[in-house]
Amino acid sequence: MKSSSLQNHGCKEYHVNRRQVIQGAGVATLLGMPIRNLLAQKGAVRPPTADHVILFRNGGSMTHIDTWDPKPGRPTAGPFNAINTSADGIQISEIFPQLARQMKHASLIRSITSPIAAHGLASYLIQTSYTPNNNVIHPGIGSIAAHERHQIGALPAFVSINGNAQKAGYLGQKCEAYFIGRPGEKDPYLSFPAGISKVRGTKRLEILERMNNRKSSYLGAPEMKDVETSVDDAVALMQSPALKSMEIDNDNPDLQRYGDTDFGRASLLARNLVESGVRFVQINRGGFDNHGNIEDAMLTHGEVMDPAMASLIEDLNIRGMLDRTMIVMVSEFGRTPRVNGNAGRDHWSRVFSGFFAGGGVKKGHVIGASDKDGMYPDKRPVKPQDIPATICHALGADWKKTVITPQERPFKLTKDGSDPVFDLFA
Amino acid sequence: MIKKLPFIGLGLAIIAFGQLSAKTASETLDELLNKENSDQQLETAPLIEDLAFLRKVTVDLIGRIPTMEEITTFQKWPLSERRKMAVGNLLEDKRFNDRWTVFFSDMLRIRSGKAGGPQLMAYVNKCLKEKTPYDHMARELISSNGKTTNTPAVGFILGDDVDPMALAGATSQIFMGVRIACAQCHNHPFDDWEQKQFYGFAAYFGKTKFIEQSDFNRNAYTTEGHEQMVLWPPERLKPPERFPVAAKFPFELVKFEKDNRPSHISRFQSKREESKKEKGEKEKFVSLGDFLDDIDASASESRKTGPGGFDLEGSLMKDKKKVNLKGDIYRQSNLRKELARLITQPENRYFPRAFVNRAWKEMMGRGFFEPIDNYSAYNEVSHTETLEYLADEFVASGYDVRALLRIITGTEAYRRGHHYSDTSEKERKKAEHRFVAAPVRRMISEAFYDSVLIAGNLMGEKKWRNGENIKTITETVRIALPPKEEEKPEADVVKTPEANPEPPQPVTPASTTEPTMSNKMANMAGGTMIRSRVVGGYDLEQGLEVDFDGLLSGDKKVKGELAMMKKMSDEKIRMQQEQSMMQQTTRRRMRYTYRDQTREIDDNPSYPTSALRMQSPAAPPSFFRVFGQPSRDRLGEFRDSSASMRQSLMLLNGKNVHEASRVGTLEPLHKMLTAKSPNIDKAIEYAYLAALTRKPTEEEHLEALTIVHTADNLVDGMADLRWVLFNTHEFRFL
Repeated sequence: MKSSSLQNHGCKEYHVNRRQVIQGAGVATLLGMPIRNLLAQKGAVRPPTADHVILFRNGGSMTHIDTWDPKPGRPTAGPFNAINTSADGIQISEIFPQLARQMKHASLIRSITSPIAAHGLASYLIQTSYTPNNNVIHPGIGSIAAHERHQIGALPAFVSINGNAQKAGYLGQKCEAYFIGRPGEKDPYLSFPAGISKVRGTKRLEILERMNNRKSSYLGAPEMKDVETSVDDAVALMQSPALKSMEIDNDNPDLQRYGDTDFGRASLLARNLVESGVRFVQINRGGFDNHGNIEDAMLTHGEVMDPAMASLIEDLNIRGMLDRTMIVMVSEFGRTPRVNGNAGRDHWSRVFSGFFAGGGVKKGHVIGASDKDGMYPDKRPVKPQDIPATICHALGADWKKTVITPQERPFKLTKDGSDPVFDLFA
Repeated sequence: MIKKLPFIGLGLAIIAFGQLSAKTASETLDELLNKENSDQQLETAPLIEDLAFLRKVTVDLIGRIPTMEEITTFQKWPLSERRKMAVGNLLEDKRFNDRWTVFFSDMLRIRSGKAGGPQLMAYVNKCLKEKTPYDHMARELISSNGKTTNTPAVGFILGDDVDPMALAGATSQIFMGVRIACAQCHNHPFDDWEQKQFYGFAAYFGKTKFIEQSDFNRNAYTTEGHEQMVLWPPERLKPPERFPVAAKFPFELVKFEKDNRPSHISRFQSKREESKKEKGEKEKFVSLGDFLDDIDASASESRKTGPGGFDLEGSLMKDKKKVNLKGDIYRQSNLRKELARLITQPENRYFPRAFVNRAWKEMMGRGFFEPIDNYSAYNEVSHTETLEYLADEFVASGYDVRALLRIITGTEAYRRGHHYSDTSEKERKKAEHRFVAAPVRRMISEAFYDSVLIAGNLMGEKKWRNGENIKTITETVRIALPPKEEEKPEADVVKTPEANPEPPQPVTPASTTEPTMSNKMANMAGGTMIRSRVVGGYDLEQGLEVDFDGLLSGDKKVKGELAMMKKMSDEKIRMQQEQSMMQQTTRRRMRYTYRDQTREIDDNPSYPTSALRMQSPAAPPSFFRVFGQPSRDRLGEFRDSSASMRQSLMLLNGKNVHEASRVGTLEPLHKMLTAKSPNIDKAIEYAYLAALTRKPTEEEHLEALTIVHTADNLVDGMADLRWVLFNTHEFRFL
């Protein structure tokens, strides 16, 4: 391989896909330019409070009352008690006893409100700040982060664990999430296949480079150069010493604390990845659509999530990473304050909560409040689309910045009317 | 107002061509293209050689590179005829139906995970197999009502959840290449469409109702209501009162004079007469509209068994609701039937134009207008006459997709090669945009996948003898823990790993190595919580077959659904398991642990299922999606052919390329290399032909010799050579 391939390139700049570009009118002058140049339209620059983000995305919409916004003594209280936390005056549900001890590092928003209570639409909204539209795919917040903050080392800037993140859309392939399906397990795509020694694999790569060079210098199409860049990137990643941060041994002692579950492993992995320079880790978890028997469901969720998230916050804090790493947990909406006939809760988007810690977020603080039964915001309403804007703000990215898509359509990084929750930050 | 769109259709000269000379349509098309290029200074690229043509056309028409056998046969055919013969064979190949099902699946946004999706996919496949004319197919898609198991075309309107606004946008954009949907919220910002026109168009779908019942949508169906749901003024204006909108077709139509119809129309008429005769139907035609066959016929046919092909006996509905089945359930939509007629009548130029442009792009890498679903007065058409001619020919063929592809593949334009790097970037682009040079074009992911398998002898017979690839593998499996003492489960007891006679197995999709899906699925279905962690590792290079035939045979309905269940994507299984896990919590909460588990397998992979017949879109991290398969969940999303690191990782280290490269003991190459006096030269030539459909140049041959000789042994060296060939630009780019 070229010697340069072994070095750190920072964020890769693939060419705009030509067939995408030609779909726009009159863009010939833009052909062949790196997408970054097309998209860069500098806005207000503000020093970031966070260099990394770990986003916990709860699919199916998690109940707010049984988690971050308990209503003790009210008819909507549900099956769980509220417990005191290490943050003065803040109570959360008893299903999170360890997180309660970490609340002194964290903030809650208890007044997110939206008219949309359909899963698909709402997940799209809270991840992109847009509602889905034909003829365009809006990038998710992780892709925006990868676009705005350069990659550190050979590890991808954006990793999605246990499920898929929103696509990168018009920000292009390079901002797409690196998918990890089995957290901590060795990814077979990151090393030569079994039986192919390093020497033999390297020999193959050398021949490949020679053959490809012959063809691409002969034809001169940028598509081929892009393939060569992507091979260089892949090889750089395969050879990166940081790669070991992607593996977790089954006897890793930390698993005792995080819990030996997909979620526990994902959280432990997130810690390691962030330490190795990954900008944005998204951890997906489903199973929150609890229309029936919410008590047992949330007990299970609590048992899995509580030790994992609490250990993550604790570890990042001890390692001095918490100040630069923003942890966010949101779901697309909340669940009905009233418990239904099946001892469950149904869809409710009028008010719900989000959890935030680190990366400049105030410590032991609550933004907004729901009313006494957890039905509607009582003060400081926050829109779902404010969440991506808030994350942009933490990363020092201009959430109002305009990017021009390969089809030459202008889009803001977050939709007009998305406002960072400034008072969330210290 | 609708602006007059550029329309230079049917020049008299063209009609004369058809009459006076023996010119083929492909030749006429080339002439028109040249004519429309005549005012341009263009660097025309040379035509490609015959073998390169065979490779290109085979990939385009049947979704894989040619086999060694096909190459040999092709070379035996007479020079002057071989290209035509190849195309003729390919159009009749079984894989043609599968490859073009993918084309239609992209176009119609068919999702096998969506209710009605698999049936719709199977329906399209059947239409291709039976050579159903495109206009007929479109009419069924636009107008069908009923239940997806018996009226599979209804999957199209189920795809948009029977939402009139979404359907109006989709129908216009997909079948006519017009982005009228932008006028849903406001008058179109870059076009002349008005909001009210959009509402009038949407009103065709305004009476269709979606009746959903429980049970996996098994009983979901559509029918026609009485009430118009599309109301004016738009809701967002918060008007005091809203009124039902009358359906109105907003697209400009061409008028043909009765006695002076253009040639393509009379040819269309005789074509339809012919096919009606073949079917033994009554002739006697009054108006052009009568040639729009058999929506009525199929509707009346279906009334015999119940409208919409309803299975009277099988329905629970009959007993539950005392309704008049013939009258009230699965009523056909007169509005949409009328819309289907309006859209597909030859007077509507938008319809054939959009389709031929899409097909042209599929074959040439670029449409006459781009994006291919945005025909507009404000969007340039590169070759108006050529496009209109191709549309005419498509109509004249009776909307025969194969005829259209025969024309395209017969042109010189299709045989143009690439420009070399001595042509400037600017000249190259210009030539490519004018179709006098071919842009490099990556194979679609499915074709790429299958091509690696074909070249590596992984698709047919096994390439190794049994027992030659025994491997011990270690997997991490997730195992349910028995419930805690204090929680007494009310129902079925969780089997502990010890209590279970079968060791827990990972859920890997079928199609490769030994253990099959069924026992694992049975485990799951039976409610035991022993299962593995899924999605990850080499699973990403696999897919699950859609049983096209099973899906369309009504009596095998349940079987088909079961098959689908078995073939659900890992992700879906995972989701469903998670869901059932949550439901299980009504009785007990589950606890899991992970365990490493070792077992022996004979890793002798073979892939009986073509990627073209797999569930799609595949899970987002899968090989197919990584190589550009679209998610098909919105309009205006096309295949992304840009490069990514993930792609490279999957090719450099992936299982398929690795297994395809290894030289199996049952492969011809193995014999050549392990004979007493190995024929290395022949082996190299064979490897090149199988992978790149050409012989190596002298330089390449020498290079290959070095590769083969510098390895530990010849067989390993050949594997290295093949691995490189599968990874080269030349393999994946046409």
